[in-house]
Amino acid sequence: MSETVLSIDNLCVTYKNRQKKVYAVKNASFSIEKGDAVGIVGESGSGKSTLAMALLRLLPARTAEVTGKADFLGRDLLTVDDKALADLRWKELSVVFQKAMSSFSPVHRIGEQIEDIYRVHTPNAQKGEAKERAVELLKLVNLGDRVWRLYPHELSGGMLQRVAIAMSLLFNPRLLIMDEATTALDVVTQGQLLNEIKHMEETLDMTRIMITHDMSVVAASCNKVVVMYAGDIVEVGPVKKVLKTPAHPYTQGLLGSFPSLKGETHALRAIPGSIPDLSQQYNECIFAPRCPHATEACRKARPEPVQVGEGWSSRCVLCGGGKA
Amino acid sequence: MKLIKKILRTIKSDRLLLAGCIGICILLFIVVAAPLITEYDAKLFGPDALVAPGDPAHPLGTNHLGQDIWSMLIYGTRTSLMVAVVASFISALLGIIIGGIAGFFGGWADRIISELINVFLMIPTLFLVLLIVAMFGSSILNIMIVIGLTSWPSNAKLMRAQALSLRERTFVKSAQAMGENRRQILMKYIIPNGVFPVVANTTVGMANAILLEASLSFLGLGDPTVISWGQMVYDGKQYLTSAWWIAAFGGVAICLTLLIFYMTGDGLNHVLNPKHGKAGE
Amino acid sequence: MSEQKKKAYIDIQDVSVFYPVKGGKLFAQGEKPIVKAVNGISLQMEKGEVLGLIGESGCGKSTLGRILVRLEEPTRGDVLIDGVSTHELIRKDPKKFRRMVQIVFQNPFDTFTPRDTIEKIMMRPLKIHNIGKDDQERHKMCVESLEAGGLRPAEDILRRYPHELSGGQLQRISILRSMLLNPTFIIADEPVSMLDVSVRADIINMLLELSREKNASVVFISHDIALTRYISDRIAVMYLGRIVEYGTADQVVKNPQHPYTQALISNCASIDPDEESAAIDIQGEPPTPINPGPGCFFAERCPHATQECLKKYPEYRDLGDGHIAACMHIGK
Repeated sequence: MSETVLSIDNLCVTYKNRQKKVYAVKNASFSIEKGDAVGIVGESGSGKSTLAMALLRLLPARTAEVTGKADFLGRDLLTVDDKALADLRWKELSVVFQKAMSSFSPVHRIGEQIEDIYRVHTPNAQKGEAKERAVELLKLVNLGDRVWRLYPHELSGGMLQRVAIAMSLLFNPRLLIMDEATTALDVVTQGQLLNEIKHMEETLDMTRIMITHDMSVVAASCNKVVVMYAGDIVEVGPVKKVLKTPAHPYTQGLLGSFPSLKGETHALRAIPGSIPDLSQQYNECIFAPRCPHATEACRKARPEPVQVGEGWSSRCVLCGGGKA
Repeated sequence: MKLIKKILRTIKSDRLLLAGCIGICILLFIVVAAPLITEYDAKLFGPDALVAPGDPAHPLGTNHLGQDIWSMLIYGTRTSLMVAVVASFISALLGIIIGGIAGFFGGWADRIISELINVFLMIPTLFLVLLIVAMFGSSILNIMIVIGLTSWPSNAKLMRAQALSLRERTFVKSAQAMGENRRQILMKYIIPNGVFPVVANTTVGMANAILLEASLSFLGLGDPTVISWGQMVYDGKQYLTSAWWIAAFGGVAICLTLLIFYMTGDGLNHVLNPKHGKAGE
Repeated sequence: MSEQKKKAYIDIQDVSVFYPVKGGKLFAQGEKPIVKAVNGISLQMEKGEVLGLIGESGCGKSTLGRILVRLEEPTRGDVLIDGVSTHELIRKDPKKFRRMVQIVFQNPFDTFTPRDTIEKIMMRPLKIHNIGKDDQERHKMCVESLEAGGLRPAEDILRRYPHELSGGQLQRISILRSMLLNPTFIIADEPVSMLDVSVRADIINMLLELSREKNASVVFISHDIALTRYISDRIAVMYLGRIVEYGTADQVVKNPQHPYTQALISNCASIDPDEESAAIDIQGEPPTPINPGPGCFFAERCPHATQECLKKYPEYRDLGDGHIAACMHIGK
């Protein structure tokens, strides 16, 4: 029986300032089992990064209001106190950001920086213990121990991203969140990195969340996908099924916007219209104004997630009783 | 209308800027309404010399020639602000054009101008000004021009740095691909998008111009035909022990005005800083 | 590079850009380091053809694009458009050159000066090139162009400032503005890589439609191979300033011959989750193009490299149907 690592229940994030409120994430609910690799996809403004930041408790408390529950191994990430949170970070829950280049200090060697982090979390570590562990991890991401003595500017973007991933694995975290971690990289480097991550998972048995705007990254490296649009989770399901027979019209539209690499070339179609204003609350399907299949029913109320298959749901009224 | 509202909101968002702007408004009011605020002509040599402050007719007293100190202060504001505006206008104009050319065109033009800027920055401005005033006479016009001509390098340096980074921006490349010639790119794209730091610097430059004019007057090289605060301090110097008020009020006026301009400059710098968001539109 | 010396519409002849490396050691000895960003590129294009230029960052594809619109001077080589040297043209009649050759930039948020309205921005090229007899007529042309491009209401958009519009809208305006000049040669430098996926298709389709309408040749620079295949007739693959493979879009993507192209395409993730990714692992990352050679530039990362590869840069091999690749192991 698989064990649930993270279960998010009705999570909402609202940014507010004096003039208005922005509903960035609305009623997000899904769960991640042990060993899952979940891809959260969405375009800019979909709330995918906000969701991750909320889970990591990195949103400014003054301007962002987070409600709901995020049960991570029996503790609620959203309410756990600061000290417990500090213990969770790195050790149980770690993150890799898009710009690993700027998350390193330019005047310290890579090794010193890894050692520092190691020592913060294991105060009575033996000398050399950190290095031993780190070199092992650096090998996993195809870097030699040569890197230990180098400064960040001596490494390329791809190599730094690898170092960042290796660092995030220092304490064998239960959950790894990668926020656009491969986006800034070249095709070949990204391909290599995705392969390395998959290999790593076979040996390390970890659970991963991949936040990206690129469907092909999800297709290549995840088994479960969460599609977000304008703050709503519109579809959740197994990658193989969702990408082949998407249930939600937005997912269909998004997939139709990607040209196929080797298959038949079909005419690319964009989704007409633009993202709705997130400072309003909508009492209809948020995608309805851009949806080619929208009916009266869509404009009446905000649809609830509808079960489409096993572990597969879609926030669309049309999915229940046959497609339009 | 929208623009004015936006400007007002920006000013309100920064306390220093707000204080500075209020101060400048007061100064401008004094300049315009000078004859209404005071009953005496500042240049008039009255019958009562060396009246101490507190006198009902002369609240701040009179100097050794019987001029009313309060009136002199009020009319001195005109001189100081005129010097500030004209001198820093010359300085900003020169700085923007010279710095813009250096940064945008690059190459040998940049090399020559950069060296020139360094030379100017190395020479102590006061001595240069002293030299020129001594040679060409000390009319207030001369003084303003000289201050302008010697203070442009700091503006030019700022503008050059702006132009250097702006010329790599896509919209400049795009203008070039559109067929704009280099002069138009400089005037229409580089300068309008790069002047803000210069504007902020100019308010500080105004304070410096006022100070420089006061220094010249204090050294006896001011224009003797106009009323200026520096002149007042210079005149009062010899009576410092017996009639402190002649010099003191002029000095206080200089200090207050400098403070106002520095606050405005600092506030502008803060607000116009690109990290501060989209201000100044 | 092709044998058939038919007169091509666009003829890129041996274009190179070299930069001396600044700084470095004060008393450096021997050969001075030179960055060979673009290294002897020759290509022909027909009228109305779309050529895709793919490669990783630093391969020189954007530099080549900037040379084609003369935002940068080539160190060597020339580009002929309809038999006319652009080198000559830009000296004699720069405005005519600008009308013929236009570019669409990657970053639509920075393509327009932030202080002008869209109206002023769109009218500028018309004014520079004296198109339209007065501002009223020019205004009408802008309105028509925006409406044809699906930007409605046009009058409202003309009054706005760039920061008030979305990336997709701005990129459309950028394309429409270029098209006002009726160019015959368009360079699109990663025109959609900064846009959201769901609006990309519209921009691409619009670019294709408009250039087809004017029968203009397009160079489409991108790192997105699937997209490049979708829009291009032919594809050229660049590596360290050189073209390593060239052919029709399907030849290059479906049947890559050069080991670099093979690695590039095999590492390209597909959105089809069933497609087996048999990624070819190549070592390291592209080195900088400082004094490359003398052998094949790809040799040190190539899985098939031999001693021979390090000696001399390989000649182009014709693989039939205009498909060529620069590798000495092909066909052996």
